[in-house]
Formats: sequence, C-alpha cells, structure tokens
Amino acid sequence: MAIIEAPDSEPLALPSGGTVAPRQALGVFSRPGQSKGWRSWITSVDHKRVGVLYGASALMFFVIGGVEALLIRLQLVHANGTVLNAAQYNQVFTMHGITMIFLVVMPLGAAFMNYLMPLQVGARDVAFPRLNAFSFWCFLFGGLFLNSSWFLGGAPDGGWFAYAPNTNPIFSPSHGMDFYALGLLITGIASTVGAINLVVTVINLRAPGMTLFKMPVFTWMGFVTQLLIVFAMPVITVALFLLMFDRNFGANFFNVNAGADPLLWQHLFWIFGHPEVYILILPAFGIISEIIPVFSRKPIFGYPFMVVSGIAIGFMGWGVWAHHMFASGVGPLSVAAFSVSTMFIAVPTGVKILNWVATMYGGRLTFTTAMKFAVGLVAMFTIGGLSGVTHAVSPSDLQQTDTYYIVAHFHYVIFGGALLGFFGGLYFWWPKAFGYRLSEKLGSWHFWLVLIGMNLTFGPMHIVGLQGQPRRTYTYAKGYGFEFWNMVETIGAFVIALSVLIFFINIVSSRRNAKSEHLVVGDDPWDARSLEWMVPNPTPAHNFDEVPIVAHLDEFWHRKYGEDDKGRPVRIAATTEVMQKGDPTGVHLPSPSYWPIVMAAGLPLIGYGIIFNLGFAALGGFVLFLGIYGLGLEPSTDPDAAHPHDDRDGHDAPDDHAAPELEAADEPEALTEEVTADE
Amino acid sequence: MRGPQRWVRRLVLIPALFLLSSCSGKQNIFSPKGPVADKINKLQVPVFVAAGVVGVIVAVMLAYVVVTGIRRAKHDDDEEPEQIHGNTKLELTWTIVPFLILVAVAFPTVTTILNISHRPANAMKIDVYGQQWWWSYEYDLNGDGTPEIVTANELVIPAGRQIELQVHSRDVIHSFWIPALAGTRDAVPGRTQILELEADQPGEYDGQCKEYCGLSHANMRARAVALSQADFDRWLQDQQQDAATPAAGSEAAAGLESFKAKCASCHQINGVNEIEGKAALISGHAPNLTHLMSRKVFASATFPLWVIDTQGRLVFNRNQLETWLRDPPAQLPMAPTEARGMPNLKLGDAEIDQLIAYLQTLGPYPAGATAPGS
Repeated sequence: MAIIEAPDSEPLALPSGGTVAPRQALGVFSRPGQSKGWRSWITSVDHKRVGVLYGASALMFFVIGGVEALLIRLQLVHANGTVLNAAQYNQVFTMHGITMIFLVVMPLGAAFMNYLMPLQVGARDVAFPRLNAFSFWCFLFGGLFLNSSWFLGGAPDGGWFAYAPNTNPIFSPSHGMDFYALGLLITGIASTVGAINLVVTVINLRAPGMTLFKMPVFTWMGFVTQLLIVFAMPVITVALFLLMFDRNFGANFFNVNAGADPLLWQHLFWIFGHPEVYILILPAFGIISEIIPVFSRKPIFGYPFMVVSGIAIGFMGWGVWAHHMFASGVGPLSVAAFSVSTMFIAVPTGVKILNWVATMYGGRLTFTTAMKFAVGLVAMFTIGGLSGVTHAVSPSDLQQTDTYYIVAHFHYVIFGGALLGFFGGLYFWWPKAFGYRLSEKLGSWHFWLVLIGMNLTFGPMHIVGLQGQPRRTYTYAKGYGFEFWNMVETIGAFVIALSVLIFFINIVSSRRNAKSEHLVVGDDPWDARSLEWMVPNPTPAHNFDEVPIVAHLDEFWHRKYGEDDKGRPVRIAATTEVMQKGDPTGVHLPSPSYWPIVMAAGLPLIGYGIIFNLGFAALGGFVLFLGIYGLGLEPSTDPDAAHPHDDRDGHDAPDDHAAPELEAADEPEALTEEVTADE
Repeated sequence: MRGPQRWVRRLVLIPALFLLSSCSGKQNIFSPKGPVADKINKLQVPVFVAAGVVGVIVAVMLAYVVVTGIRRAKHDDDEEPEQIHGNTKLELTWTIVPFLILVAVAFPTVTTILNISHRPANAMKIDVYGQQWWWSYEYDLNGDGTPEIVTANELVIPAGRQIELQVHSRDVIHSFWIPALAGTRDAVPGRTQILELEADQPGEYDGQCKEYCGLSHANMRARAVALSQADFDRWLQDQQQDAATPAAGSEAAAGLESFKAKCASCHQINGVNEIEGKAALISGHAPNLTHLMSRKVFASATFPLWVIDTQGRLVFNRNQLETWLRDPPAQLPMAPTEARGMPNLKLGDAEIDQLIAYLQTLGPYPAGATAPGS
C-alpha cells in the first residue's frame, strides 16, 4: 500500500535474473477503481478523504449529540419539567456525553490530524493507508452501533463514566450498558489503530530536513495526542472488557458481594479518562497555534516552549486522574498528592495561553473567522482553566464536585476549547480541503452567536452549581434559586443551535456560490506558513509532486519571505514560484480497497452477537476474519492500476503509462526508502 | 472596533457576575453553618478571588493585543510586524510566576485536607446508609453494634457537637452532602467512609445525593436537623420507644392490620411483630416508620409531611401522603418491578384512610405542630 515511485521502464529485475510479473488481485472483489461517486469514498485509502469522512461523520454525530443537549435543556427549563421522564433523561444525558466525547470531539480531532499531519510533515500519505481507512470505518460503525441502542431496548443509562456497581445488570437491566461497553471497545480499536498509524507517520515519514523541532506545532500536538491515545486506550479497553464480562458472562470484577472494590472501575476509568481530556483538547491547541501566527503575520512565540509545554501536559496528564475521585475515599495523602499535581498542570497550560497572547502582541491582526475562533478559544479556555484550578483545591472540590459548576468547567474547556478550535480550523483549512472559502459574513454570525450562546448556556452553570444544583439530575425543585439561570441556559443552548445551523447553511451556500460564480480560491489564500499550503487547493491526491526538502520551521513562509535588518519580513519570492504545480506524473498511490470496510463491518456484528445471540457473533467473526485475510493477501497497490497524470478532480485518472508494480513487503520501510530516494 | 470591545466587557463581566450572584439558595456552598464547611469556605473564597484576578489580567492582555493588532492592520498597511521568535526570560517568568502562585495555593490546600480528614476524638458517631433512593440513619448509642434508633430521611444531630458520620451504601455508590455543614463523601458499597460535620446552631439544612445512582438520583434528598442539646436528648428518648398499639376497634387499628398485610414485608415499625418472608428488596429494606410523624418530610425527603398552613400553623400534610399511598411510582420514578422502590399497592380509599389514621399515631409530632384533627 505504500507510495512507490514507479520504475521508469522495465519490470523490476530479481537477483535470479527473472522479473516480477504483474499479478491479479486476490479476493472476491474486483479491485475498486472509481475516482468519483460513493464507491470511491467507501474504498478510499487516501488520508485526506479519510479525514473528510471523519469530519463529516463527526458533524453528523454532533447534530445527534446537540439534539440530546437541547432535550436536556428543554427538560430543565423549568422546575419539575415533564419533557422527559427520569429513565429517558438518564439515557439522554449519558448518550450526550458519550456522543460528544467519543463520536464528535475525538473524531473531529482525528479528521484534522488525518488530513493535515501527513501534509505538514511533507508525506504523501500516512504510513498505513488501508489501516487508516479501517480506523475510520471502525469508528463510524462503533458510533452507529452505540446509537442503534435507542431502537433496541434503550440507550446506556449509567453516565459516560459508568460507575460500578450501578452498571451491573441488577441496577441497569436494559442492554444499554452492553452497547456502551461494546460500542466503546469498537471505537477504541479505531482510535488505537489510527494513533499507531499517525505516530509511525510522524516518526518515519517526515520530509528530508524536517527534524522533530521543525515540525509545525499542530503536528506536534497531534503527535502528543496520538501517543496519549496509544497508551490510554488499552486502559479503558481493559475496563470495558471487565464490564462486558461482568454483564454478559457473570464475572464478578465489580461485584461487591463477591468481594470486589467498586473503586477499581473508577481508577481504570480515570487513568484513561484524564489523558482523554488532553486527547480532546491538544489538537485544538495545535490548530490555533497554526491560525494565530498566520493572521498575526508573526511566527509562533516561543516555539520550543510551545512544544515542550504540550509534551509536559501529555506527561503530567497521567498523574492527575484521582482528582476525579476526591470524594470517593482514596485517603487524605492521595488526595493531597493529586490535588497538588493537578494544580501544577496549570503551569504548562498557562505557558501556552501566554505564548498565544505574545504571538499576537505587536502583530498585524486580520480578524478572519478562523482568527476569531482562535481568539475565542484563548479567552474561553482561560475561564475553563481557571475554574479548573478552583477545584484542584480538593477541599473546595468536596463542595463543587458533581454540581453544575463542574459541568460549566468542562464545557468551557471542551466546547470553549476544543470545539471553538475545531470550528476555527474548519474555516482555516476549508479552502485547502474543498477549494472554496466559507463565507466570512456568515462565519462572523456563526462565531458571535456561538460565543454568546455558549456563555449564556455554560456561564450560568457556574452560578447554579455554586448554588448547589447537582448534575445528572432529571429535575429540580422550586425554591433553590435554580429557575432563572436554568431558563437562561436553555435560551443559550438554542442560540448555539442557531449558530450551528448557520454554519451548515454557510457550507451549502458558499459551495453553491463558488460553483455558480466560478470562484477559485487560488493558491495560498491566507499567506500561510506551513507545507500543506505549498500544494494547490484542493489538495491533489498525491499531495506533493516532489517531496520538499525542509530547512526551516514554517518552511513555506521562509521560501516566500526573508527578513530585513529590522527583523521585518520582506518578499523574496512570488507565491507561484514556490508553489508546487500539482502534477502527479510518476507518482504511484496506494490503490483503493474494499477490505477495510469489510473488516470493520464484522465488529458491530460481534457486538450484537454478544448482546442478543452468539450466532451473530460467529457471523461477525467470520466477516472480520475474511476482511483480515482479504487485506493481508491483497497487494497494497493494484498491479493493473495506471499512473495518473493530473488528478485534481479525483484519483487514478487513466494513463497510458502502465508500469509493473513493486510489491511492498514491508510497507513503512518501503515508504522510508521512497523518501530517502527523493533527497 | 465593536467586536473587541464586546470582548473586553464579556471577559470582565463573566467572573464578576458569577461570583456575585451565587450567594443565595438553600444549597449554596458559600454559606457555611458549621466549622467544617467554614474551613472549606475560608479556603475556597481566596482561591476564587485569585482565579478571578488572574482571569481579568489575562483577559485585559488578550483584549489589548487583539485591539491594537487590529488597529495596526487597519492603519499601517505597509508596515510588516517585527518577527519576534521568542524570549527565554519572558518564558521563564511566566513559567515560574504561576508556579509560585500555585505553591501559595497548594500549602493551605494540603493543610486543610489533612485538617478535615482528622477523625474527631469526642465525636458522636452516626451510621448513614445510602440506598436507592433514600438515606437511612442509625444511632448505636451504647456501642454494642446494634442500633437503638433507626430512622430515615432526616439526620437529627445536636447543634454545637462534632459528628462523625460513618457513611455506607447498601447497593450502588451514593454521595452524602449537606453543603452548609460539610463537603461531600461518597457512600461506597463494601466500605465505611468517615465524614465529619457539625452545625453551629439548631436549624434545618438541605442537601442531596450527589453521585449519580440511577433512576431516581435527582430525588434522593438529604436533610439534617440540628437540635439544641436538650431537644436532642428528648428526641433520643422518644425515638427509642416502640410504637404504641392503637385502641381495638378504632380506624387506626384497622390501619395497623392493613400495614401488617401490605406494608410490613418491607417497612419496619418497632413494636409491631416482624412479618415472616420479608420481600427480597435489593437494598434490604425500606424506611423504618416507627416515628414517621416526628419527621417533617417523607419519601426520600422529597415531599413535606408537615406544612405551614394559611394561618401559619404547622399542620399534617394529609393530601400529599394520600396521593403517595395511592400510587407511589407515579409520584417518584422507581423500579418496583426490579425490587427497587415502592410499588403501587392498589389500595382502596377506605384502606388508605385507615392506614393514614394508623400512621398518624406514629409520633411524637415535631415541635410546634398542630395535632391532626384538632
């Protein structure tokens, strides 16, 4: 599946003197060859298409999770609400959390990291393109599997944190928590496989000259995120396996009557759960670290500190998990230790905030929509970070924990941090991915409404939380002072919904305008800094005509600008001179494949089998087995595929220049060879 | 310019707003009514203030760079900004200064942690049991391991005395929380966890279960009633009495028979013979009703059993109890079919009247109450 420079003339010579003859693809399917239409998407192994698929699916789940949020807010708009009953509310708030964390924020991060990390390191794809496609389908099927629980006897109702023993079938008799355990196991496979892929990509596929400390901050933050995923996912996987065995096969891992300690679940869950918080936020930190320099026309301030603070957050994130358990009874010494470690994780986070401010200081700010979102993140995340410090103080947390104050805190972090960052990134890289700009006018509406909406929704949660409104409660009584602010929160939630609607309208109308008026975004619309902007918009399938040789951080910028003696940038080359042409001649890409989606399709079947009838599991196991062997026996590149000349419109345009294929026995190695060959 | 100015306003207003307006409400965490909660409050207020100050400083800096940056872009069109790549001294400063601020916060934090987790020496011990979805309180007065008093929904304590709550759970994890008196403590099945609390003055203090515990978590209220030492001693005496047997032939006597037939498989009334074949409730049993009428609330402290009427008298809330008995799962979400919570017993009108007549005898009534029927 590697990207291989095609030999120019003859079939590859073997030491024996023979040649490697073109081979037919193995397997039941004929090799997919489409470059357009739905089939080209489900068989694509292109990291950019996979990224787009991640993004589109995440936005679909964002709508579902958003509807769940609106239902929650409608139920709580008045005291003693009757929109949902207790059982429904418990399912809705559980699924809102699971959806937003696992099916929206994580995959949105994956969308950006998949699309951009190979481009930013100057590679033509990720290290294992077909596995990348498998990751995506795994995630999508896992998410659909989780949501199918609504129609199969009830969604999970134990909270996203699923504390034992409340998840035991005695206390949660519907199949909901089975869907939780199995669904998250499936999406966990997606995350782990995807993470290994991107880690290998960053380590092995960087363009010549791009040392680790010349990587863009986004790629660095993505790299740290993927390492966190590689190490955090096994922990939750273990926990979910234990839960699944407890529920489905009568194991007693969390059964107190059989001698278990329910705190075991909490430790496992939060050892995963706290690094998860940084998995959610670091990609957004990376995104705005790209946006702010571009629109300030200054390099990122303190690049090494930016990178090292990200690494520090990644490390320290492992030493703070028990701050979720201050009231659980872990003992005063543990509480003190985790209290202190939690406070000090604020230090590297503060360094990042101040470096963003310093990057803007003295700059010429173009207040584009992307930049607005980036500035919004800095402001909103600061609020979330500071409220975080107030409950790092564990005695105070004994009052604040499990109140709406905590809900306010993590929504400022995840919505005000991660989601604002992702929105900014969408406006920033939209022309890169789709070749047209999103409207700045609608974007401005989107930004201001989402900012006002989120402050109306989550701001008052600080207040009602400190007034003692507990979270995860389907109702509240009159007389506690909760009514007014809950009403405000509900209004705010609908303002957010309106802003998201404007965003979707923006996508459709901007696309229509671009088509009808033949608007071309052109090369380098923002006068940007990093390698992904050195290739045409939208990105051609093969990324780079030739792999760039990197001499600087912000390589693209340095090819365009020098500095005068006052340290101010001076044009040294026109954009057209430094841009690549998007000519794919001679570049051979990994071929599309059916097998990733087949493999992934086996997993939810196994899930249904464990819940309902082991017969399905056998079928699912067979499909998975088939998929694994199909993938393994299929040559990574189709021997019959032709070389493309120009594929701005898609993949694999026909070509007269059909060459025999190099079999890639060891894919990453083959890729490295290719990169070195380019030097 | 309109945008950035809105930024400044918002960033300054938000922290100020939430600090100012969160000082009211029965469960608010800024009104300690006892020494334990007071220690927490003395720690948290300066931290809130410090966080607010840091927030305002960052907001002002951010607003400044944004406003001046936009102005620069508008006015000096041809002047490119100086390319500053960093400044190690600055970086070290804003690494070390926040670190020192946090050290200043960490010291009192650790001191307070150790301080509030000391087991008080002369404290009165009370066992608290969380179960789906109510709290049971057990007083083992002579320390023999068997409680002399078993009550529910209202934790009755003497004011001005240290209390050591031993928090247990009979099913899932709950969390006991009376914000005016102390922070929260999880009730974890299989463990006994200690929570120290104390009320300065006699009074009634609201709280509720804070750890999500399933279907009716929202209704699992907690309530502490602090009495003066004299009142508390009287309360201890009263609570140790068995329930009186109603006069033969009275409506209450008929109610007692109904109780034995329909309720006693789950509910205990001391002095009424134990019924064979207790129902297999997951948590073991339902609230002890021996002195039901001495409590101002019932059904997990969700409904008032005594209310102030239009003439200002404290009267028995018969309607509420009647509604409850008619169909409990319609009043509070419960799962009686899964042996969790009270089922609808399909009681007839006459039976409900008789039961209420009997339950009314389960005094003593709260101080200042007007006896039913008078």
